[in-house]
Amino acid sequence: MLMIRAIIRPEKKDEMLAELSRAGFHAATAVDVVGRGKQKGIRIGGVVYDEIPKVMVMMAIRDEDKDDIVRLILQYGKTGEKGAYGDGKIFISPVEEAYTISSGAKGL
Amino acid sequence: MKEIIAVIRMNKTGATKKALVEAGVAGFTALKVMGRGKLVEDPSVIADRKQKLLAMAGDEADGEAERVVEEFLDGTSLFPRRMFTILSHDDDVEKVIKAVMQVNRTDNRVGDGKIFIMPVDDAVRVRTGETGEAAV
Repeated sequence: MLMIRAIIRPEKKDEMLAELSRAGFHAATAVDVVGRGKQKGIRIGGVVYDEIPKVMVMMAIRDEDKDDIVRLILQYGKTGEKGAYGDGKIFISPVEEAYTISSGAKGL
Repeated sequence: MKEIIAVIRMNKTGATKKALVEAGVAGFTALKVMGRGKLVEDPSVIADRKQKLLAMAGDEADGEAERVVEEFLDGTSLFPRRMFTILSHDDDVEKVIKAVMQVNRTDNRVGDGKIFIMPVDDAVRVRTGETGEAAV
């Protein structure tokens, strides 16, 4: 099992979650976050904005679904054809166990 | 050292905090999040709840209300949840899982939340600079 944390543009969230659901990956958690990346934020005139609003989408997934989900996130998170600075990042980390509270069942 | 992520109902925050203290792992970080789980494919699972929620709408229950209630129950749309992040020693993980599951279980059959257990490589206590298990 893996945990995907994707930091994406807020305006991309709805479409991305809809497409993920259509592809069969429905379960997700979204958190509003602020952050900055390698570009150190954005400079507009003399003002630097380094707390840029983003959405963090968290998904616990099966190992074999990783490639499909990453591909979908890349596809629907990108701005335009080439993408742009600020489109975000995807982080993937291991999950050892998962439980469903209502049934107590182990696994996703 | 393990990181335990529990996504639970908003109104269970208090009960969960209490249960964690009783389990001996008091430290946690909590966030408001929006989430959705697996799609409910069997409508009979949510039929009872749907009747109850629609009854609350009273005379104003129409197609729109039914749609909202159904989306809320079958998990099509995102709804608010509380996410707990708990750092614990390996030995305490089972205790925490048990405590969280016990207080968060309801009769609604869906929507009680999930618990994920993730490995943590290292931790540092800012005040003293301790690392590893001592910092948890």
